Amino acid sequence: MTTRQPVPWDNPEPLTGPIGVPLVDLLDRVMATGVVISGDLIIAIADVPLIRLSLHALLSSVSERVPAPWADGGPL
Amino acid sequence: MSDLVTAAPQDTTTATYVFAVSRTVDPSVLAGLPGMEEGAPVHVLPCGRLTAVVQAVTAAHFTEEAWQARLSDPAELERCARAHHAVVSAAATCGPTVPLPLATLYRGDSRVRQAMADEADRFTSVLDRIAGHVEWGVKVYAAPAPSGPEPDVAGADTAVKGAGLAYLNRKRGLQQRRHHRHEEALRAAEAVDAELREFAAASRRLRPHGQEASGRRRVQVLNAAYLVAEGSAAELTELTGLLEARTGAEIEISGPWVPYSFVGGA
Repeated sequence: MTTRQPVPWDNPEPLTGPIGVPLVDLLDRVMATGVVISGDLIIAIADVPLIRLSLHALLSSVSERVPAPWADGGPL
Repeated sequence: MSDLVTAAPQDTTTATYVFAVSRTVDPSVLAGLPGMEEGAPVHVLPCGRLTAVVQAVTAAHFTEEAWQARLSDPAELERCARAHHAVVSAAATCGPTVPLPLATLYRGDSRVRQAMADEADRFTSVLDRIAGHVEWGVKVYAAPAPSGPEPDVAGADTAVKGAGLAYLNRKRGLQQRRHHRHEEALRAAEAVDAELREFAAASRRLRPHGQEASGRRRVQVLNAAYLVAEGSAAELTELTGLLEARTGAEIEISGPWVPYSFVGGA
């Protein structure tokens, strides 16, 4: 195992092909980051900061399956 | 037909889901993408000098309660994450793209335009910063523990005159070796990160995954993202190969990603 070389995922056009992207790595990215617009602009239908509430719910609900992909010092 | 008309009229209200923001996106790259729900197509919404990639969705399906349920359902969470990622990735084929987080919703297109106008300078500076770059994920795992039983350092004769002591010694030895391996792995992680930071335009440490997510019985000691120049995949692969050989740690790389981890802040 120690001689195994690291390889990028096997996809001819990785930027266009989401198939095969590991879910846990994807969640690291779609959930924790990209917060360019401030929280109060990421609004729910009722003008509440939905995203933050949802993330907290997610953290508690799937933590067994996807243990804490969020950075301690991350945007949360 | 009449019951179709009378069925839950309040549910027809739409909201605008925003996937990403770019300068320009060729609408044809979005063709056929399902987006967050069936119905309206994923499309571009011009917003001044920016373009938002959006989809009209049924508001009632994207309320806070609906999201709570959705995010608690692993299959549905995966579907949403992949659908979001598919649109972000497609948009990014047209040029630098700022992915928005999953679940970014506005009451309508005009609200999106307003938000884009308010934040135009920040989006523009982020687009400039990430232009020509992609993100790579790098995960480092501790070198696997030697297989087979630990050597019995106490020796056979101690079994007679000090089985308890021998047991404690063995336990202590095991603990020390485990501790040592962990220290080594953390040092390897720091070494890998230091080298990759030199190579990258920017870097970010993510929280390492637990064993269940990382698979097998191995300990992840580094989960990091690096913003690197487009087209440097071969160099990165070579570098991580060298680092793997040098440190003895197991290294996994993933990418190229749209620079998700490098669009926060300003």
